[in-house]
Amino acid sequence: MVKIYINDREIEVKEGTTVFHAALDAGIPIPHFCYHPAFAPEGTCRMCLVEVEGMPKLELACSLQIREGMKIFTQNERVREARRGVLEFLLAEHPLDCPICDQAGDCKLQDYYEEYGLFDSRFSEVKDKRGKKIRLGKYLLHDQERCVLCRRCVRFLREVTGTGEMGVFERGGHTKVDTYEEGQQVDNNYSGNLAQLCPVGAITDTDFRFQTRSWFLEAGESICPLCSRGCRITIQAHRGFARFKLPKRVYRIKAVDDPLVNGPWICDKGRYGYSYLDENRATRILKKGESSPDWQEAIDWLSASILRLKHRNRLERVSVVLSSRLSNEELFLAKKLFKDDLGVGRVFFADAPPEEGDDMLLTPDRVPNTRGARELGWEDVPVDMEALNRETDLLLMFGPDFENAHSLSDILGCFEQIETTVLLTPFDGSLSSQVDLLLPTTPVAEKAGSLTNIDGVLRNFQPALPALGHSRAEWSLLIDLGKALDLRFQYYSRLSSPEAVFQEMTGEIPFFEKNVE
Amino acid sequence: MIKQFGYFLEIVKGSLITTRHFVVNMFFHILNLVGIKTKRKGAVTRQYPEAPIEVARRHRSLHRLMLREDGKPRCVVCMLCATVCPSECIFIEATEDPDPEIQKYPSNFIIDLNRCCFCGFCVEACPEDAIRMDTGEVELARYSRGDLVYDLEKLTG
Repeated sequence: MVKIYINDREIEVKEGTTVFHAALDAGIPIPHFCYHPAFAPEGTCRMCLVEVEGMPKLELACSLQIREGMKIFTQNERVREARRGVLEFLLAEHPLDCPICDQAGDCKLQDYYEEYGLFDSRFSEVKDKRGKKIRLGKYLLHDQERCVLCRRCVRFLREVTGTGEMGVFERGGHTKVDTYEEGQQVDNNYSGNLAQLCPVGAITDTDFRFQTRSWFLEAGESICPLCSRGCRITIQAHRGFARFKLPKRVYRIKAVDDPLVNGPWICDKGRYGYSYLDENRATRILKKGESSPDWQEAIDWLSASILRLKHRNRLERVSVVLSSRLSNEELFLAKKLFKDDLGVGRVFFADAPPEEGDDMLLTPDRVPNTRGARELGWEDVPVDMEALNRETDLLLMFGPDFENAHSLSDILGCFEQIETTVLLTPFDGSLSSQVDLLLPTTPVAEKAGSLTNIDGVLRNFQPALPALGHSRAEWSLLIDLGKALDLRFQYYSRLSSPEAVFQEMTGEIPFFEKNVE
Repeated sequence: MIKQFGYFLEIVKGSLITTRHFVVNMFFHILNLVGIKTKRKGAVTRQYPEAPIEVARRHRSLHRLMLREDGKPRCVVCMLCATVCPSECIFIEATEDPDPEIQKYPSNFIIDLNRCCFCGFCVEACPEDAIRMDTGEVELARYSRGDLVYDLEKLTG
């Protein structure tokens, strides 16, 4: 450990860190454009200048290493003056089209101008014309006039994706970032990160373009459920206007840095594939095709159907179709309820069929919790239609994937043989109107719990959005069902939250015990 | 008996007040007529609504959206008006303009006058001087609430 002084405050830091990180750890953020923790310090933007006692000139915080007894000043007049100068040069060539720029509100240039600039423009010359609205990829637009030449995009394409489509061209005031070939497209599954990486509005999403303004959005952290990597994301949703109905809630998804899971990146599939949160959602309880808002009644009806079979000693004629979309807690509760307490006849798994993954983040699984299901002791048994046809009186289906695994006519033929069919799904599908009871549930973004990713990393999540319509999280349904069945009322009453269920899990399953955060 | 006398007393009092106003106003009108300047002016009864009154130049009346020289709305959908609006009565939808210097223009611009409190913040917030409240239109009573929801066409027209 090394002792340094930042703004006359004594701070102990690890040897070998940079001034930038030492200050950040001490809660003193240093303004920067080009520096990004994923890359080596670049030092092109000159925004992170700090004064160090004993050094004749201002130094770059992002690349300067800590030495014993260093005295650093990050906010004195000399430093502020230098930053003001840097901003004035950057803004001299900036088009100042914030009203139509989608980055406005998130833009570092705006933030730092508020903090260090607040000068009137002295630039009376005509600004250089550069390329605007250049298609850079399926989801990207490039505006060369807004660029501050931080080279983050160039470094990302060289170091992370290794494709290297972009570079810096020309010199002096005419410097611009461009693709090597005219009209070249950034065509990979990680292109969306460029829009998040850009500190200004030079690279923006076409997906978010002109949809709304960023200050209307409220961010909630969650986990991406679209593959078993389980990347950490923030879901940015519009809180809505009092008088006008908006077509959707979720407008944007951004990556959150999680070194053990996804680093600072997410793939385009997760970034732009958020429409499932608002479209085709099951929002109402449907009992024999009729809508009813009463959850207690629906759960009582379900438990009565199960108890009827129990009294006739026919519990082995109950089949359950689980889904790897469920969280660890829900799969654990399902195990307690269906396997240990009821002892149902068959438990199957119906998941979305695997698709092609890539060698970075995207995995072949298209459901988030395959590893968690395995660690909990569930086996991936595919649905046996024969058994459903002949040996089932009550079928309980979780998740929306069952209807895709088999042909609709097969499933409907099956349903004719089964007395009671119950579907718990967040999404409206062709089975919604065919089952006896449809219970709308929530996707990962709207509930709390934990998921185990493909590498066995456990991550908790909290609801990022309120539950849509009447939908409810599966864990609360399973607990209520457990209570209604009155097998072990006290046990299920104790498990009142996902945290309580997790506590119970850690006691029983060693995998989760060692993974406690 | 005494109670009824009280009524008459009040009638007489009221008549006296009316007469006083008449005499005082006449007095100032006559002074002004013969060319003597006084600080106080005689009151004038306006024949509103038969004779329309002119509102002050700075009066905040019905909104209008300004147009560019080529007839497109000046608005670039920065949504600052919708952000600052305390009664959340502005709703704007943006579309892509083929001109890369404009890029963004409103495909729909709704002001719900049922909610509008005529504070004029939208006018102050606008960086493009695209919205003004200087039409002088103050008679906004309508027979249905829907008529008070003004869209782009009504606001530019």
